[in-house]
Amino acid sequence: MSVFTLPQAAKEQLLLKELVTLVDHHRANCAPYARILSASGFVAAQSIAELPWLPVRLFKNLELKSIPDDEVFKVLTSSGTTGEVSRIYLDKAAAATQTRQLGATLQTVLGPKRLPMILVDTKSLLKDRRSFSARGAGVLGMATFGRDHVWALDESGAPDLAALQDFLAKHGGDPFLIFGFTYLVWLHLYEVAKENGLDLSNGILIHSGGWKKLVDQAVSPEEFRRRLAADVGLTKSHNFYGMVEQIGTIFLEGPSGGSLYCPDFADVVVRDPLTWAELPPGQPGLLEVVSTLPTSYPGHVLLTEDLGVVHGVDDGDWPGKRFSVLGRLPRAEARGCSDTYQGAA
Amino acid sequence: MRFRFGAPGELTAPSDERLAVGDPRVVDFLSRFARKLLAPAVARRHPELGSLGYFLRPAELSRAVERMRREDAYVFPRGNVFHVPPANVDTIFVYSWALSALAGNHNVVRVSERSATAADTVLAALNETLADADPVIGRTQRMVTYGRDDAVTGALSAWCDLRVIWGGDAAVSAIRKFPLRPSGRDLTFPDRTSWAALSVPGWRAADPAARKAAVTGFANDAYWFDQAACSSPRTVFLVGADPDGVAGEFLEALAEVVEHRGWLVDASMAVEKRVNAYQLAATGAATALLFPANEITALTLAGVESAPRRWIGAGAFPFASVASLLELVPAMNRQDQTFSHFGFAPEQVRAFAEALGGRGVDRIVPFGQALTFSSIWDGYDLPSEFTRLTTVQT
Repeated sequence: MSVFTLPQAAKEQLLLKELVTLVDHHRANCAPYARILSASGFVAAQSIAELPWLPVRLFKNLELKSIPDDEVFKVLTSSGTTGEVSRIYLDKAAAATQTRQLGATLQTVLGPKRLPMILVDTKSLLKDRRSFSARGAGVLGMATFGRDHVWALDESGAPDLAALQDFLAKHGGDPFLIFGFTYLVWLHLYEVAKENGLDLSNGILIHSGGWKKLVDQAVSPEEFRRRLAADVGLTKSHNFYGMVEQIGTIFLEGPSGGSLYCPDFADVVVRDPLTWAELPPGQPGLLEVVSTLPTSYPGHVLLTEDLGVVHGVDDGDWPGKRFSVLGRLPRAEARGCSDTYQGAA
Repeated sequence: MRFRFGAPGELTAPSDERLAVGDPRVVDFLSRFARKLLAPAVARRHPELGSLGYFLRPAELSRAVERMRREDAYVFPRGNVFHVPPANVDTIFVYSWALSALAGNHNVVRVSERSATAADTVLAALNETLADADPVIGRTQRMVTYGRDDAVTGALSAWCDLRVIWGGDAAVSAIRKFPLRPSGRDLTFPDRTSWAALSVPGWRAADPAARKAAVTGFANDAYWFDQAACSSPRTVFLVGADPDGVAGEFLEALAEVVEHRGWLVDASMAVEKRVNAYQLAATGAATALLFPANEITALTLAGVESAPRRWIGAGAFPFASVASLLELVPAMNRQDQTFSHFGFAPEQVRAFAEALGGRGVDRIVPFGQALTFSSIWDGYDLPSEFTRLTTVQT
């Protein structure tokens, strides 16, 4: 069963109704959110683009939740580049929904059964408490969608060829799942598989984590797909875009590649960074992500600090908008009197 | 280590060179340096260097030297001075260094690696001036760039009689880890907050030309250095009964100036301001937010006590209303530096200063003067900090 079914018009109609209800829900249950809406003069939205958005970084600076303290079931954290951490509060229902919807999204490309799984990472990742929250949580979260896991890297972070060969001997004849961060897949799976003639043609790759490190090595998303298919037989690969602040919602690359798609319960809006109005397809701007999953915290309409562009609507592998993430908006820096000699001793 | 100015060599080596307070060789050097900064091509490209050149005119220099003289004591150079200026306000290091040089000190200035183009222009002008200056200048005045090298910072700290630390609380704490010699002292410039006050009756009484001049001055104060210099005004206090409409008129006039100047605020900064403004709304500190354009963000504060003391972005203006300047006195503290004003009678401003009684605020200046450096800065009389006194009884 797919969660990529709704044409844009039908989706917007459905989402708008649910999101308007969510705005009211969070307004009634999250006082800081209510104060933001009232200070910015929000009254009503006639379209998804008119819904009031929160900058995603707000979750690093504020405790935003729409549930009482005693209903907090899980607190998710993300480590940011500057050491600030987002805190996302889930109750039991929200935690269950996000797992279920993430599963449903992935089943669109993985099928209903759990597949044997290669984790393109190192097990020692789970031991290092500092890096655990970001990468470790991502890997652990995805691991639940596979079985008979193997780690592609040994404890020291070096490729574990023997483990991969052993895995492929056992499971390589049927569909299997590969998960990892894009640059790790490129550096530590693709290169190793190519050098050692590993056959990954039954693999389905799910990967994420941004292209910056690869673009630095002159590997574009198209090149990544082309070389994986040509050199190691890996033709099914799906990049995805998602963030802890909208946990459970991922925007998944379609089978033919090149575009990310929105599941039925989510959407994106690209905004002009000068006027903040919605931009039509083809014009790059700041990405806003919209999802009906956040019920326990007001993360249903978030302005990211990522630049993106909508390529088309209802004209791709799946219905709805298809888009790409183009990179990150640089962080604003003050030209002030501070910051002379930091980090000394 | 890169020598940006002065004779390369051991920075902390003992020196036989002696300069006097107001040494003619230094005065000559600084006046010729000022002329280069005031050249139209330079001033056009970097208006802040024009202000610096103005500050270093011969008349200003002799006034500063005059202020160092005393009847009751001999005034001598303090000795060795180590300056650690901020990375991002390109010209501060020159003000601090020039006054210290004028006082006859041997100076070492650590110029940040991240210093911007205005700093390069300054260094080029300094070096051009050096070419036909008395060699004593290059031997006693050195500017260097080095990374976070604790050995160098430690040696210079042990060498100097006075260490001048700009750059806020974090910089002060970082540098303070390096011990001074027992007689050494620190002159510190920690994090500061600066304010603006607009008299409601004063604004209403002002004619369009006076309003425009006020707003233009305020805009310069706020937008140079991205409203992040210690003296950049942030919160605007509307002072007087019945302020309705004044903030709106002020913002409208401000928008015109900003548009006329062509100042732009990019998307990153706009997002930064949204984050900070939403945060103030979320906690209840701000009750209304306006985002008319990326260049201007306006916030209505719940009250004077909600005025933020941290930077919230370039072109972000919280407003709070009070009946009189005296009502602001309890809200001021030692962190507060510059208080710029428009539309008040001189006696109102003086009464405010007297009521403060030293609890905070170092400078009270009209709109447009917030960034104008002066030899009394952050509550210090810099020429007197840069000198030592010898008394004689015969």
